Amino acid sequence: MSQMVRSAVRSVLASRGRFLLTGTAIALSVAFLVATLVLSDSMRGRAASDIAEALAGTDAVVQGVSLGEPGGGPGDPVRSVRRSLDPDMTERVAAVDGVEEAASQWKGFAKLVVDGSPVGTGTASDVGRNWVANPEFNPFQLESGRPPTEVGEVVIDRSLADDAGVAPGDVVQVLTATGMHDATITGIATFASADAAPLERTVLLPDGAGSAWLDMAAPTEVLVDIAEGADRTEVLGQLSALSDAKVVDGSDYIRTMQNAATSPLQFLNVFLLAFAVVAVLIGVTIIFNTFTLTVARRRRESGLLRAIGAERRQVLGGVVIEAAFIGTIATLVGLVCGVAGVGALRWVVGLTGISLITGPSIVSPTSIAIAATVGIGATILSAWIPARRAAATSPMEALRESAAEPRVVSRARTASGLVLAAAAIVGGAVAVVSSNPVWLMLAAAIIPALVLCGPAIVIASARWSSPAARRAAGVSGSIAAGNLAASPRRSASTALAIMLGTAMVTMFAMFASSLTSAVGTDVHDGLQADLVVTSATPDFSTIDPTLAGRIAEQPDVDAVTALKKTEGIVEEKAQAIGGIDPTALPTMFDLDPIAGDLADLSSGGVAVVGDDPSLLGETLEIEFERSTIEAPIVAVVARSTGGFEAPAYFVDAATLEASVGRLLDAQVFVDLADGAVADAEEDVSALVRDTPGSFLATREEHVASSGSEIAKFGNFIDGMLILASFIALLGIANTTALAINERSGEIGLLRAVGASRRELRRIVQLEVAILSFVAASIGIAVGAGYGWAMIDVTGGAEIPAVIVPWLRLAVTLIVAVAAGVLAAAWPAFRVSRVPVLKLVSGDS
Amino acid sequence: MGLPYKRQSGSALLANSDDAAAMLDGAVKRYGSGESAVVALDDVTIAFPAGKFTAVMGPSGSGKSTMMHCAAGLDQLTSGRAFVGSTDLSTLDDRELTKLRRERIGFVFQTFNLVATLTVKENICLPLTLSGRQPSDGMLDQVVSMLSLGDRMHHRPAELSGGQQQRVAVARALVARPQVVFADEPTGNLDTRSGQEILGYLRSAVDKHHQSIVVVTHDPNAAAWADHVVFVVDGRVHDVMDSPSADTVLDVMKGLGR
Ligand SMILES: Nc1ncnc2c1ncn2[C@@H]1O[C@H](COP(=O)(O)OP(=O)(O)O)[C@@H](O)[C@H]1O
Ligand SMILES: [Mg+2]
Repeated sequence: MSQMVRSAVRSVLASRGRFLLTGTAIALSVAFLVATLVLSDSMRGRAASDIAEALAGTDAVVQGVSLGEPGGGPGDPVRSVRRSLDPDMTERVAAVDGVEEAASQWKGFAKLVVDGSPVGTGTASDVGRNWVANPEFNPFQLESGRPPTEVGEVVIDRSLADDAGVAPGDVVQVLTATGMHDATITGIATFASADAAPLERTVLLPDGAGSAWLDMAAPTEVLVDIAEGADRTEVLGQLSALSDAKVVDGSDYIRTMQNAATSPLQFLNVFLLAFAVVAVLIGVTIIFNTFTLTVARRRRESGLLRAIGAERRQVLGGVVIEAAFIGTIATLVGLVCGVAGVGALRWVVGLTGISLITGPSIVSPTSIAIAATVGIGATILSAWIPARRAAATSPMEALRESAAEPRVVSRARTASGLVLAAAAIVGGAVAVVSSNPVWLMLAAAIIPALVLCGPAIVIASARWSSPAARRAAGVSGSIAAGNLAASPRRSASTALAIMLGTAMVTMFAMFASSLTSAVGTDVHDGLQADLVVTSATPDFSTIDPTLAGRIAEQPDVDAVTALKKTEGIVEEKAQAIGGIDPTALPTMFDLDPIAGDLADLSSGGVAVVGDDPSLLGETLEIEFERSTIEAPIVAVVARSTGGFEAPAYFVDAATLEASVGRLLDAQVFVDLADGAVADAEEDVSALVRDTPGSFLATREEHVASSGSEIAKFGNFIDGMLILASFIALLGIANTTALAINERSGEIGLLRAVGASRRELRRIVQLEVAILSFVAASIGIAVGAGYGWAMIDVTGGAEIPAVIVPWLRLAVTLIVAVAAGVLAAAWPAFRVSRVPVLKLVSGDS
Repeated sequence: MGLPYKRQSGSALLANSDDAAAMLDGAVKRYGSGESAVVALDDVTIAFPAGKFTAVMGPSGSGKSTMMHCAAGLDQLTSGRAFVGSTDLSTLDDRELTKLRRERIGFVFQTFNLVATLTVKENICLPLTLSGRQPSDGMLDQVVSMLSLGDRMHHRPAELSGGQQQRVAVARALVARPQVVFADEPTGNLDTRSGQEILGYLRSAVDKHHQSIVVVTHDPNAAAWADHVVFVVDGRVHDVMDSPSADTVLDVMKGLGR
């Protein structure tokens, strides 16, 4: 055994170049995987433990019945919508037998404003909540100062205090649903031991500020402490019997809060994980290729050994030991690089504009274990499969057979692949027609279909490209095309890596462009007003409702109209509902009605954003926290007012306020008189500047800023494209090097009959270019098809139309082919330098 | 080295003649260095006459392949010079050598002779297409019909027998009408009949087209097709023979301890 190990090590050292490449592939995959896992742990782990610590003292929570849950994707509301509690719920809870204490928890919108400018940017939401007197219940702890006691005093979290550079005693302003309020900071608090609650910026208010500032009639939740010795289940049962409320056990509550804190990052995690999986797949492909060839090369030698009496195990066990050796070393390197590279990944993710928790990276043993298992396991498996196959052939067969793999592809394999592909296409079609995402699972069968059809695709593309290649590059062209088909399985696995990578990038690109179009082009195409006043954050309205009237009084202002916004439940999903003046708004923002008449909103109708005119006349039910409206659909509009949180439904502003109470304005559109001078704009600007929570933008500025969020998402995709291409690059370099090694005899012959070095290089590069082109085209087509089905089925009102980003797809194709040719350049260069005779004798 | 160094004066092989198709002059080829160095060619001077069929014979490891490779510009001499026609190969750079190989030399190996992805016709025309030339139809037809490959032109090498494959390789070597064709044991992997066929074709190329051909072989019967035979032993030219017959060749071979 030890001799076997020694000879395995020697063999690795002997073919250093090949194994260096394999090792790099393994290490990179492992590094990418571990970095992703660590990042997602760091994003969720810290938040989860903070929440668990902060809420540890709460035994149970009474909250309003849930009306709809948040979506989790970009464009979906981030909070769940609940029916309000009874205003006296806290007293009723406290009166229940076995309840030691009950405390009201008010939670609404509050934004800290210091010297006229709002504090904090990024994804976190601005939260105002009351300071709970009992420290048992209070998730916040005072770090300095004292609790707020009367309305007008606030405590802020440490991260806000650091951002704004304020300290207890400072006078600030707080913007809430009832407008701008002056406040004095009395203290700084931490959330458990963290600077802030996960993804929240919190302003803590005294009791009594709940109704005055947060504009709420009743607490959001009642926190419950169950008396010691009381029967817990019994108490929970009694609490549930209270009308119109939902009782949640303390531990369930913590879990829900943990999920809520991490769910906005969920889609990012899914993206990252998808890329990590592709990276690992590409890595595995490379390893598998290398070992298949290693085994094939030794086939004759091992046939000889078998013929003189060596056991199978003795002959091929060495290969597996070799794999374990390389796998282990490469995995260790990968783990180290991955942990060190989390920073780089953070940077890529940072391109999205999502501000991640800046805490330390959490390297959990699970992440390490998963990545190590994948790294070492994939390597050994990749060696074991071909080794077993080789060991199963008889010695004489092994001696006789050439090392090259068979050129024929099993019909059954291709046929089953085609069946799967057909099933995938049907699945996608059914999903689109029936709008049922479950069918998308069937559409995912396209991946095994590609695996199965790969060799046939390679052979077909070799055949079809041959005439074109011949015309373009003469005999080098036909040799290049022919080489593809020479080892269809290996070419296919390179192709698969490229297909998966490009499909992934294409899907994200489709997603981004459709979202951009939904968000960006709506504003670009619809906005006609000269000026737009916007709120401090897109997901909460902060404009003083009197501002619109004051702007209208300015000279040279032609017309002014406001957009109000709130959340409501339509068909069990939380949706943004807009309130507009149906006669004034269309003159400033063209919603592009495709059916019905917006004017009918004033008689209590509702307009829906969509592309299906037949919705007209149906009755729609919208549930709000305190009421429900039922209204006929009187108009279908093709466009909303733009932005991530744009309404999916519109009603008359008066109808909306009648249902939910007074609302601040989300946006105010201003039309200046024709020929108005800069003075007019300056007048409006001065008014807006004096009104906290409102910000002025010209049409051009507003159009630009509504696209910028998405542009960042595009950056993220580009970053991922670069990472994916880098790994695919290695794969191509490796496969090409292997293929060249295997064909050294033929290449030597070409040199001997007078092919120049340039011609050799051209053959190799052409071959890779054809393969990359075909694979990338298929990958892009598959990604576009799947992405289209997915967006169409799950996009809903946020992404009403699928937009194909032709330019980005073209760039992806070009990058994939260029990356392939670039990757092949090095092995091509190497082979062109090898002396002719060395190639002919095949001992390169 | 107990053998006498016999020089057969008057042979075209040793004359430093101007009409040599290829020539080695004081050729030395040493592999490796120091203790383990092997001298594969030890001061070889020989001219392969134009328009003639020359056979090279000798024990295994005597330096025959090395001699062919160096004469064909596939390998570099340690010292001495190699000529094709009047071109000194040592003065050529890689680009010029490549051009020389495709235009003025034909080479047939024992194995690895064909590009698997190309058809028979494409393989035959490869040296021409590489230099951007069209085969003259007459030449292609002649070679193809001479080697009876007419009905195989659109097959792939894998669909041919070993003998047919070597015929394709010979056709490729001949079709560009190179100054000299080198063949290193072209019949080594073939049965006797196919081997004889190949040699017959080479012979007729010499007779009909005045092609210059140099062939390495182990078979005295094969050597009998040649105009001259060169015997190589331990990297030196041991003997040369004009107008050989199988018997006379066998005699010399026996003398070499074979
Ligand atoms: N690449 C090489 N490296 C080292 N020694 C070599 C190499 N090629 C040939 N030799 C040695 O040179 C000598 C002549 O070899 P070769 O020309 O192949 O002989 P032949 O073709 O007559 O059998 C032999 O001793 C052989 O071992
Ligand atoms: Mg030899």
